[in-house]
Amino acid sequence: MIPALGLLLGIVAGVFLDVQVPLALQPYLPIAVVAALDAVFGAMRSAFEGIFNDKVFVVSFVANVLIAGLIVLLGDQLGVGSQLSTAVIVVLGIRIFTNVAAIRRYIFKA
Amino acid sequence: MSLLNDIFEHPLEPGYADVAARRAQTGEASTQSRRISLLLLATSLLIALLFTMASSQLRRSADVLSAERSTLLARIQDYSNHTDDLEHRVANLEQENVRLQANQLQGADSSRELAESLARVQAVTGTVAVVGPGVEITVDNPPQDANGSRDPQDISRVLDVDLQRVVNGLWAAGAEAVSINGQRLTALSAIRSANDVVLVNYRPLNPPYSILAVGDPKALAARFLDGSGGQWLQTISSLYSIKFEVSTEDNLKLPGRTGGTLRHVDLGDDQ
Repeated sequence: MIPALGLLLGIVAGVFLDVQVPLALQPYLPIAVVAALDAVFGAMRSAFEGIFNDKVFVVSFVANVLIAGLIVLLGDQLGVGSQLSTAVIVVLGIRIFTNVAAIRRYIFKA
Repeated sequence: MSLLNDIFEHPLEPGYADVAARRAQTGEASTQSRRISLLLLATSLLIALLFTMASSQLRRSADVLSAERSTLLARIQDYSNHTDDLEHRVANLEQENVRLQANQLQGADSSRELAESLARVQAVTGTVAVVGPGVEITVDNPPQDANGSRDPQDISRVLDVDLQRVVNGLWAAGAEAVSINGQRLTALSAIRSANDVVLVNYRPLNPPYSILAVGDPKALAARFLDGSGGQWLQTISSLYSIKFEVSTEDNLKLPGRTGGTLRHVDLGDDQ
């Protein structure tokens, strides 16, 4: 309930405030989105399994986004930006996929 | 490999399981304190904000790209129109020049002689169009086999040296004016090649090459075929299957080639 309310408010705020991402952070926006998706689906699965905890959700979201961004930033500085971002996307993608599959099993079995 | 297996087997944050285990141990019920709810609200708000920002960012950059493209297209169009206008202006100014020249040279005998020698020089150097009988030589590549595009190293096609020899042969046989595919050859004309394209007067030309030469048709044809130009054509025809055809024509029209830069001006005596 509370998360849904928060999501709605966030979408409304994003549409109406029309926030401009600073130019330096623009290349990291897609990675941040994928990391956020991973945290969200992890939270949804834990909710289905009955072990959801807000603090863990918040920490996982913030940590995912920051760590993914930092890894890609490090990769850009070293010159392996595209490879490292591929690795991050692969890992996050696999986690998202597995969590979504588990959620699907919960929804359609239970 | 074990890293990937690990991701597959433990996709869920271990934090959830740890907290649940700890709570089961100490036996406390899950409490939803106000502070935690607020944090949850703030986090979900942040996530939604992130998604919306990313999507609006994508839409904005797509707009920027298409705006850039249409700006470039508009500029290309502008410059094409400008070039067309300039070409019209050049044609008008050239006509004006011709008119002024004719005016200037009327009248006294000396200026009429000047006009006649000017006309002769212009016909020979190629600055003015000529009409007359002559010879047409058509040279073409052999029919292409199924290979598709041509390798520039492949020499079983008409090269610039072939056209050079043909043209030199025509001049040697007594041609008065020569043009290739509508490009008049002047004293400053070059027949070159770039990759597999032949350039005449810096214009790329495509086969079949139609070489027109004004002169005495029969004599020109006979002397050309006996001379070096004709011999060369026969050689490459037998070695590389280059097709060529020589025919006499009664009425050939060769365009002129103006556009030389003015290098020297003398004021006349009566100025």
